[in-house]
This record gives sequence, C-alpha cells and structure tokens, in this order.
Amino acid sequence: MSLLQVENVSKRFGDLVAVDGVSMTVETGELRAVIGPNGAGKTTFFNLISGFLTPSSGRIIFDGEDVTKLLPAWRVWRGIARTFQITEVFPELTTRENLRIAVEVASGYRLKTWLSRDADGEVRARVTDLLDMGGLADKADRLVGEMSHGDQRATEIMMALALKPRLLLLDEPTAGMGDQETYDITQLIRKLHRDQNQTIVLIEHDMRVVFHLADRIMVLAEGAMLAEGTPNEIAKDDAVQAAYLGKAA
Amino acid sequence: MVRLDKPAEESAQSEAPALPVPGFRIDKRAADAIVWLLLLTMPFWLNWIGGYTQLGTRVVILALAAMSLNFLLGYTGVLSFGHAAYFGLGGYGVGLTLKYLVPNTLVGMGVGIVAAIVAAAIIGALIVRLRGIYFAMVTIAFGQVFYFIAYRWNNVTGGDDGLSGWHRLPINLGFTQIDILHNKLAFYYVVLFCFAVSVGIMALLLRSPFGRTLLAIRENERRARFLGIPVDRHIWLSWLISCTFCSLAGTLYALLNNFSDPHDLHWEQSGNFVIMAVLGGMRSFWGPLIGAGIFIVLEDYISSRTENWESFIGLFFVLVVLFFPRGVLGVIRRRTTQ
Amino acid sequence: MTQLILYNVFNGLIIGAFYALMALGLSLILNLSGVINFAHGGFLAVGGYLAFTLEPYIGFWGGLLLSPFLTAAIGLIIERLLIRRLYGRDPLYSLLLTFGLAFMFEDGTRFIWGPATLPFTVPDWLSSPLSGQFFFLTGYRLFMVLLVTATVIALFVILSRTRVGMRIRAGTLDLETVSVLGVNVRILRNINFGLGIYLAGLAGVLAAGMLGLQPTIGSDLIMPSFVAIIIGGLGSLPGTLLGGLLIGVASGVTSVFFPSASEAVIYVMMGLVLLVRPRGLLGEEGRF
Repeated sequence: MSLLQVENVSKRFGDLVAVDGVSMTVETGELRAVIGPNGAGKTTFFNLISGFLTPSSGRIIFDGEDVTKLLPAWRVWRGIARTFQITEVFPELTTRENLRIAVEVASGYRLKTWLSRDADGEVRARVTDLLDMGGLADKADRLVGEMSHGDQRATEIMMALALKPRLLLLDEPTAGMGDQETYDITQLIRKLHRDQNQTIVLIEHDMRVVFHLADRIMVLAEGAMLAEGTPNEIAKDDAVQAAYLGKAA
Repeated sequence: MVRLDKPAEESAQSEAPALPVPGFRIDKRAADAIVWLLLLTMPFWLNWIGGYTQLGTRVVILALAAMSLNFLLGYTGVLSFGHAAYFGLGGYGVGLTLKYLVPNTLVGMGVGIVAAIVAAAIIGALIVRLRGIYFAMVTIAFGQVFYFIAYRWNNVTGGDDGLSGWHRLPINLGFTQIDILHNKLAFYYVVLFCFAVSVGIMALLLRSPFGRTLLAIRENERRARFLGIPVDRHIWLSWLISCTFCSLAGTLYALLNNFSDPHDLHWEQSGNFVIMAVLGGMRSFWGPLIGAGIFIVLEDYISSRTENWESFIGLFFVLVVLFFPRGVLGVIRRRTTQ
Repeated sequence: MTQLILYNVFNGLIIGAFYALMALGLSLILNLSGVINFAHGGFLAVGGYLAFTLEPYIGFWGGLLLSPFLTAAIGLIIERLLIRRLYGRDPLYSLLLTFGLAFMFEDGTRFIWGPATLPFTVPDWLSSPLSGQFFFLTGYRLFMVLLVTATVIALFVILSRTRVGMRIRAGTLDLETVSVLGVNVRILRNINFGLGIYLAGLAGVLAAGMLGLQPTIGSDLIMPSFVAIIIGGLGSLPGTLLGGLLIGVASGVTSVFFPSASEAVIYVMMGLVLLVRPRGLLGEEGRF
C-alpha cells in the first residue's frame, strides 16, 4: 500500500481555484519533487497535505487512513512533518533548544524527561545526533535567529526530522540561498533519503537540485497537474518544455 | 504573540551553558542567592532605609502577582490585561469566607483560590482560541464582570466601599500557632513562604519540557503547531497556572489590608501588573519583582506627596513605554552580553 | 409596565447609540493602526468638558460644533507625538501608553474642573418632554438619536465615497498593498486617528447634556465600548454599531427586571457570542 494517496483534491478561495483536482501517490522511501511556475498552486497543495488548509473537495489518505479533515497537530502525530518556504524556527532560542523541544514533543515527552535522568540522557543524546547529522554541532549554542539563512534552514529540517516522520514535506528548501548553501542543503537531503530511506516530498525552484535528487517529478501548472514521471521523462516532455522549462531556461 | 523589537536572552533555561558571557551560569546563581538573601532580610534593612514592614509585604505580594502574570506574558507570549479579576477574586474569597463562613485563614485562602481557578478555567476555555490584541481586549472586558458583581452585590460584598469588618486570624498548625494578626514580621514571613513556594513551582515548570513548549509557542506558534504541540491546550494550561498564583497573591493582599477592595478587581489594577512586568523586564524571571519594587515604592512616595498622583503614575506609564520598553533587567542583560 | 419596558428599551437605545459612537471611533483606530486606545474615554471627557467651558461664550450649538474638532486636534497631536512611535511594535506597548494617558486625562480633568458633577445645560426647548404620555421622550433625547444616526450615516458615506475613506477601508484590509500603491500610511493613520477622536469628542458633548459631567465619565463608558466591538466582531464597523445598540438595549431591558445585573448582562452576552462565534457577530473569519 502506498504511504500517501492524494485523490483528486481541489482548493478554492472564492472564485479562485488554487488547486484543481490534483492526484498524487507517494511510495515509502520515494523522493518526489513538485515543480511548476510561480502561482501554480504548489504551496497550496502542500498546505492541503500538511493540514494548514483543508481541501474544498477530494481526499487525502495517509497510510490507509483518511486524514483529509484532521488538524495539523494530529497529522504530525501520525507521521507527517513539514518545513516552510519562509523558515519557521524559534529565533530567540539556541539551536540545541530548538531541537530539544522537537525531540521532547516527539518522545511523547511531558514529565518523564523532567523526572528521570535516563530519559533526559536519551533526549540529550538524540539532540546531539541530530546536531551532528545537520552539521550544526559547532553552532549548537548560538541563537538560531542570529545564524545564517542556510543554518536556520538546516535547523528547521532537523527539527522536522526529530519528529521521526514517515513523510517529510520540504517547501523550497533552497529558496533564497547561495550556491554553497544550496549545495550543503542538497547533500543533507540526499543523505536523509539514501542513508535513512526517508520518504520526502519537496517543492523546488532550482532545477539542478530537482534533477539531482528526485526519483519522480510532478509538474503543476495553474493549479492542475501537467505531467508526472521520472526526471528523464519530464525533461523530454513537450508540454512541460513548452509550459515551464522553456520559459525558465 | 508578544515579541520585543530586539530579542533578549532567555534566562529560565535549564541548559544554557555557552551563552555569550563566560560564567553566566554562576552569575545567575549568584543573582538568585542575592535576591533570596535580600528578601529574607528585607524587614530589617527596609526600616533602616526609611520604609516599613507592610511596604515590604506589599512588594512581595504584588511581585508574586506580577510574576504570575509574566508566566503567561513573558514565557508564553500571551498578553492578558485582565489579571486583576483573579487577584480580586482571591481577595473577596478570603474576605467573604472569614466574615461569613469559617474563621480560618487557610480555609479562606483555599476558597479564594478555588473560586479564581474555576472562573479562570471557564473564561480561559472561551478565549483560548483568540490571539494577540483580540485576546488582550477580551481579557480586559471579562475582568470587569467580577468588578460589577462586587460593586452591585452591595449587601454581601460591601459594594463600592469594599468588604471590611473582618481581619486575618492566626494560623493554627496544630503543634504551633503563627500570630500573623499582631506580629507583622510573622505575617511577612508567611507571605514570603507563599511567594517562595509559588515562584519555585513556576521556575520548575519553566524548566520542564512543558515550560519549553510554552517558550516554543511564544517564539513561533506556527512552528509549534507543526511540531505537533496542541497549542490551544497549552495556552489554556499556562493561563490557568498564571491565574492560580495571581489569586494566591490576591488572598494575601486582602489579608494584609484586612479588607477586600473592589479596586483590586478593576482593570486599572490589571494595568499595574503589566507595567510591573514590563518595567522590570518581562523576559527575565526576576524582572517583575524588580518592577513591582520600583512601582510600589514610587506609588507610595508620590501618593503621599500629591493628590494628583494618578497623573504621575500615568506619566510614568508613558515614559516607561517610550524610553524603557525592555525593562531594567532587559537593559542590564543587553549591556553585559554585547 | 408596558410603558416602563418601552421607556427602558428607548433608554437602552440611547445608551447604545452612545456606546456605538464611542466604539466606532475605537474600532476605526484599532482596525487601521492595531492600537487599542484606552484613552478613548479620556478624549470623550475632554470633549464634554471643553463644550462646558465654551458654552458661556459660544452657546450650546457652538460647543457642540467646535468641541469635537478641538478634541480631535488634541488627538492628532498625541498621535503625532506619542502613539505613532509604537506602530508595528507589540500591541502591549500601545496598550500601556494609552492606559497611562487615560490616567492622565481623568486626573487632569479632575484637576482643572474639579471632582464634582457639573451640569451642562441644553436649550430649554430641547429639554422639555414631547408628550405627556411618553414623559421620558424629551426633545434632547430624540435630538441625540437623530444626531447619532446622522453622524453614523455620514461616517459610512465618508468611508465608502471619499478618497480618504476608501483608503482607510483598503488599509484596514491590506495595509501593505495600500502603502505599495503610494499612499502615505503615516498620514492616513493620523487622519484616521483624528476621525476616531472626533467621534469620541462628539459622544462626550452629547453625554454631558444627558448625564452631566464628572471626571470618571470616560472610564465608565469605555468598557461597554470594548464589549460592543467584541460582540460585533473585530474589523467590522457595522458589527460595532450593531454591538453597541444590542448591549444598550440588553442592559436597558435587564434594568427593568433585574436592575443589579444591568452592567453584568453585557459581559454574559459577550461570553455567549465568543462561545458560539469567536470572531463576533459580523467579524470576518481569520482576521484576528
């Protein structure tokens, strides 16, 4: 059974149809990229999956369960985690504290880590692991709000990962970054996907990143699905060439 | 969500080993020790510098109220402008119990606190979905309900004149009796004991995973929600904790004055709590204590000099907002970290 | 009995019209600037007292005409000097600042005009009852209702027909876009603040004629105005108007059957509205 099945979802804001009958199926372990010109409805589509918005019609099935109407927190508990196009972190706390909050929430947390030294040790160890994996170990005690854009983004991804999600949604992970930062983040995502078999759906503008990472690509245009396939198929698709890649390149 | 224009450091974190200032942790412990030492010896040095014991008691009580408010304001990022309601409910609870029901100070305090908790739980459930300025406005308006009840229910509450004709009674602990009625010093230490227990519990809560989720909500509600934190429920709990300790302060304040004052329920009192927190520094644990100290000493001084003290208090509010928005501790900390 | 209820409904409507007039000003400022103006009651008192001081020289009508403009001028200056600095900051600060101003206004009026209630005389022909049977229907009350109605209509016309008004409404919905389109937001907020304070001043003069003047007149009226805004829905001026009239009538009717609850009833109403419809009766979803 597929991990995520999006069935014919639409989202209307008044007269505007932002997402128009889009379907998508993601298998466990897959890395799927969603691309499309500005205003194609990519972020709205993401918001529907993560529960930030509820669809006007259609269904979203996660691991066999209908989650179409669930609130965000409930979807998180079932294993859907996300990052945002504009990085959302806790700016006045340190990197370590940011991750610690996420780890505690994920461990069902509450009183145990507070009362027992062992549980507290486990949390600390997990935070250290995440810091290492994200390449943030040397910045653990800096305030996140004062760090570079790339490090903030890495922190956000590691926070989402701390939740041990079965599906990780990344909304433009390299938006607004320089070449080096883009490279670092791309390597990080690749590592998660290859080494930990993490299922990922990402929205991305940078075609180098998309073709480097994705197993399959879905193209949205004006709210509807234009094409879907492997990177090779997409690169050869005439409709995509005309509507999107031609203009972008 | 409450946010200062420029971020201040976080102080109530259990693990903050490498803050920019080396040895900060030790400084913090030293600061804690100094605060407790000053509070424990206050009745002795306060008289010596021209104050009086009841003034010190008042500072400690109102500091407890301001610190309770700051649990919500500074550490959860939710602006309540209606905490006087729960402060006053505590005060009327203890007054009414002692006057009409049971001649026992502790029972009276219990009644006042329970009344406030019930009210806060119900009102909290109504307002917990609201945010920011809307939340502030609704808390202000709801605060006035209890004022009007006290004001109108004349034959029981004494209406505009307040509830008098009762006084605090010695606390009987079984093996010994504490005469808080005649012995001002004994009363001060009972108040300080309540303060210490409350402040200790709040500090422990802030260091717990629960406290960190509150910080998370203050910092970024959207991120918190998408980490799977049930934000509304946490804000409700934080509100309830905050109102509970504020009502305890209210019971102590009524006991101090042997009087339940309708003004303690009024929104002007709520504003005073907020200015104490801001004046001292709402991003620091001890800030509201310092704010309360400055505010009360100033109010005491001005109101003994001029009839128009309200104008000066108003001007004081304006000046604090314009020139001192980060508060005393906010400014000090910023100096030391840069 | 019927007459008593009728009297109280009418009385409630008048009080409600007051609340609405005051709440509309508050709402205007809140919607465009994000400032809860605690000093609004203080401005109302200033409007009333200025009319009282001016009356010996320019009469009732002169006072009614001039005093709200003078109040608005004071408002413009205060916005320019103090409140403007706090836009974009946490609403906590503007709340505390206007809170302090409210103290200063109340104490200041007490200092200048004294704590005792001062009578503000209205022309004789206005203060006499219109009919023997409905003794409560004095010309002044009828005049008040008419004037408030006219003012509210004028306000809505200004907001929907004039350029400034349309900009204020657009700014309420989307301030960023308005400023990108080249509108000077600072001036817009200044004008808007003045407009709000004008309404407070006018309410002050009218209240003075009915209730007489005392320094606490402003702080007595501000809380019901908050409730009116919350019940009507933040961000909606028609909602504020509706909220004001509703709570006026509700407290009027309650005072017949259960006089001691006439103040508390509006808070019960507010609780019910929040329970059923957290955004208020006419509030838009997701705005606050």
